[in-house]
Amino acid sequence: MTSMPVARRRRGRLVWRNTLVGWSFLLPNFVGFAVLTLVPVVLLFYYAFTDWDVFGGAQWSGLANYRQLLHDHSFWTALENTLYYTVAHIPLTLAASLALALLLNRKLRGVAFFRTVAFFPYITSIVALAQVWNMLFSPGYGPINEILRWVGISHPPGWTTSSDWSMPAVIIVGTWREMGYYMLLFLAGLQTIPGHLYEAARVDGANAWQRFRAVTLPGLRPTTFFVTVMLTIGSFKVFDLILVMTNGGPGQSTLVLSQFIYQKGFVENQFGYASAVSIVLFLICLVVTVVQFAVNRRRSS
Amino acid sequence: MKRSIAVVLGAAATAISLVLTGCGSGSDSSDSSSGPVTLTLAGWSLSTTPEFKTLADGFHAAHPDVTVQLKEYDATNYDTQMIADLAAGKAPDIYVQKNLKNFYTYQHGKQLLDVSDVAKQLGDSVGGLSDYQVDGKTYAIPYRQDTWVLFYNKDLFTKAGVPDPDGSWTWDDYVNASKQLTAKLKSAGSKALGDYEHTWQSTVQGFALAQTPGASLQSGNFSYLKPYYSRALDLQKSGAQVSLGDATTNSLTYQAEFGKQQAAMMLMGTWYIATLLSQQASGDADQFQWGMAPAPQFDKSTTGTSATPVSFGDPTGLGINPKISKNKVAVAKQFLAYAAGTDGAKALAGIGITPANTSAVTGTFFALKGMPTDDLSKFAFATHNTKPENPVSKYTAGLQNILNDLHTSVMSANKPVDAAITDAQQRAKNEVLNK
Repeated sequence: MTSMPVARRRRGRLVWRNTLVGWSFLLPNFVGFAVLTLVPVVLLFYYAFTDWDVFGGAQWSGLANYRQLLHDHSFWTALENTLYYTVAHIPLTLAASLALALLLNRKLRGVAFFRTVAFFPYITSIVALAQVWNMLFSPGYGPINEILRWVGISHPPGWTTSSDWSMPAVIIVGTWREMGYYMLLFLAGLQTIPGHLYEAARVDGANAWQRFRAVTLPGLRPTTFFVTVMLTIGSFKVFDLILVMTNGGPGQSTLVLSQFIYQKGFVENQFGYASAVSIVLFLICLVVTVVQFAVNRRRSS
Repeated sequence: MKRSIAVVLGAAATAISLVLTGCGSGSDSSDSSSGPVTLTLAGWSLSTTPEFKTLADGFHAAHPDVTVQLKEYDATNYDTQMIADLAAGKAPDIYVQKNLKNFYTYQHGKQLLDVSDVAKQLGDSVGGLSDYQVDGKTYAIPYRQDTWVLFYNKDLFTKAGVPDPDGSWTWDDYVNASKQLTAKLKSAGSKALGDYEHTWQSTVQGFALAQTPGASLQSGNFSYLKPYYSRALDLQKSGAQVSLGDATTNSLTYQAEFGKQQAAMMLMGTWYIATLLSQQASGDADQFQWGMAPAPQFDKSTTGTSATPVSFGDPTGLGINPKISKNKVAVAKQFLAYAAGTDGAKALAGIGITPANTSAVTGTFFALKGMPTDDLSKFAFATHNTKPENPVSKYTAGLQNILNDLHTSVMSANKPVDAAITDAQQRAKNEVLNK
C-alpha cells in the first residue's frame, strides 16, 4: 500500500533525470542552432512584412513587399531560371550518380581510386573549379569548343558568354560537381540490397535490365527518395556556383532566386524586400518537399 | 506584497540607472581633460593598403597626444561588415566611404555626423567634396579622388609607328588609333592589341554618364549610352580589344593586360599608377615606358590642353560615426581636415595615392621613381573635371544593377544596344524608380 507512491515518485524522478541528461547532450548544439539559425529565421518572418534598410527600426508595411513582388519582372525571371536549373539538374544528377554508383559497385581493380576520383569535385573549392570550368568553356580559346570544332561543329555555343547557353553550362558544372556525393549515398544504398534477391531473379531468368528494374530500383527507393529531396532543396537554393561562374549574366540569363535575394539585401540594402523573397523561396521548397513526401508514402504503401 | 516588490524593483532600476549615468558622466569629464586621446579609424587590407597607416602616422606626428588606432576590415565585404558594425554600435570613430554607392545608405540611415565646418575650412581645392553634400550639409570629407585617364605604352606606340596621344582625342580618334595600333603591331610581329577594356560596366557607362550633356542616371533615360556602346562593340568586333566573354571566362586582370604589354592603351582610374609603379619595381610587370593622357572626350569642346577634360571617378571619403564620444568630435574633425588638406595630400602622394587635392601634390607625385615625366601625363593627372560614377541617390544601387545586366548582355552580343536600352529603361521604371 505505501510502496506505490514511492515507486511512482522514483519513476518520476527517473524520467526527470533522463530528460535532463537528454537536454544536456542536445544543449551545445541547440544553443548554437538557436542563436545562429532559429532566431534569425523567426525574425525573417517579421522583416518580410516590413520596410527595412538595416539602420533604425523596420517599418511595418504589411503586404506591400508581396504586391511589389507580383510586378517585379526580375523576380519572375529569377524564378523561371531557378525552375529551369532545378528541372534539368535533378534528373541529370540523379541519373549520373546512379550510373556511377552501379558502375563502381562491382569488383573492379582500382575501384577505390575511381570512387575517390568521382568524389573529388565535391570537395574541391567551388571558386577554383568555377574558374577552371570558365576557362574550359571560353568560346574563343577554350578546349571544349576546340574539340567541338574538331568534331565538325563549325559554330559551337558561346557557353557562359551566351544568354542561351549559360544555363546549360552552369547545369553541367553543377551536375559534375554533385554527382560524386550522391554516388556515395547510392553506393551505401546498394550495399543494403540482399544478394539472394539477385540470385533468385537470375534463377527466374531475368536479364540485367530486368534485374535492375525489379530488384535494384525498388531496393534503392529510400535512398532515391532521400537523394531527390536533398537535390530539390539544393537546386532551389543554388547560389555560390552561379555567383562565381556567371554572376547571373550575361544579362539576367542565369539570375536565380538566391542571387536575387542577395542582390536586393546586401547590395541594395532592401532587407525587408529580400526577406519577403526568402519567404517565397522557403514556401516553394516546403511545398515541393511535402508533395514528395506524400507521393513517396503513397508509393511505398 | 506585490506592490512592495514592484517598488523594490523600481527603486533598484532607478539606482542602477543612476549608477550607470553617474559612471557615464564621470568618465566623460575625465576624458575631456586634455590628456592623450585615441581615435579609431576603419581600413581594409592593411598589409597591402598603406594609406590608412600613412594618414594615422602623419596625424600622430603633428598631434603627438592623439593616437589613431586602425581597425581592419575585409576589402571586398567592407560595406557589409561596416553596416553590421554600425548597426551593432561597434564601428570605429572614423570610417571610410569606400565608394559613393553606399553613401546614401549611411547618410540616410543617420550614421554620419555633419562635418560642414570642416568642408568650409578646406575650401574648393578638394575634389569630390560636393558629392557628399545633402541639403546643404556635408557628411564626409574626401581624402582621395581618383580619376579615369588613358594609360598608354610608349614603347608599343613607337614600335607600331603610331603618334602618341596628344590630349586632343575624341572617342572616334581613340577607336581609330586602337585599330591602327592593332594592325601595325601585328605586322611588326607583336601579339599586343590596340587597347584593353576591363570587364566593369564603368569602363563604358562611367564615361557616357560623365561626358554626355544632359545625361542623368536617375532620369531613367539611358539613351546616352548608345554611342559609347556602339564604339566599344566596334572595337571588340574588329579585334582591337579582347571581347568581354574572353576577358571574363579567362579571368583576365587589367594589371596583367597592361603591365605585361598585351595592350597598348587602357582606360583606368589613377589608382593604377601606384600598382604599376610597384609591379614594375618588383618585376610583376614588364619594364617599359608609359604615359598618361586625358580620357577621350565626347566632342572637341573639351579636348586640348587649354580646356578641362571631363572624366569620372568616385571620391573616397572619411566620415565620423555619430556614436563617437562627444569629447573626441573636435579631434576627429581635425583628423578629417588633415587627411584632406595639403599635408595629408603630400603624405598620400608619397606612396603613390591620388589625393583629393591633386594640384597641391603634382610635384611630389611625379618625383616618384618610375613615373613618366612628360607634360601631358602631368596635365592628365592634375587637370580634369571629374564627375561621380555613382551620383548619390536612393536609386543608385538599384539602377547600377540593372545597367550591369545591360553591360553584360550588350558586350557579349546577346542583345542589340537599342533593345537592351529599352529593356533597362523598362526595368528601371518598374523595379527601382517607382519606390
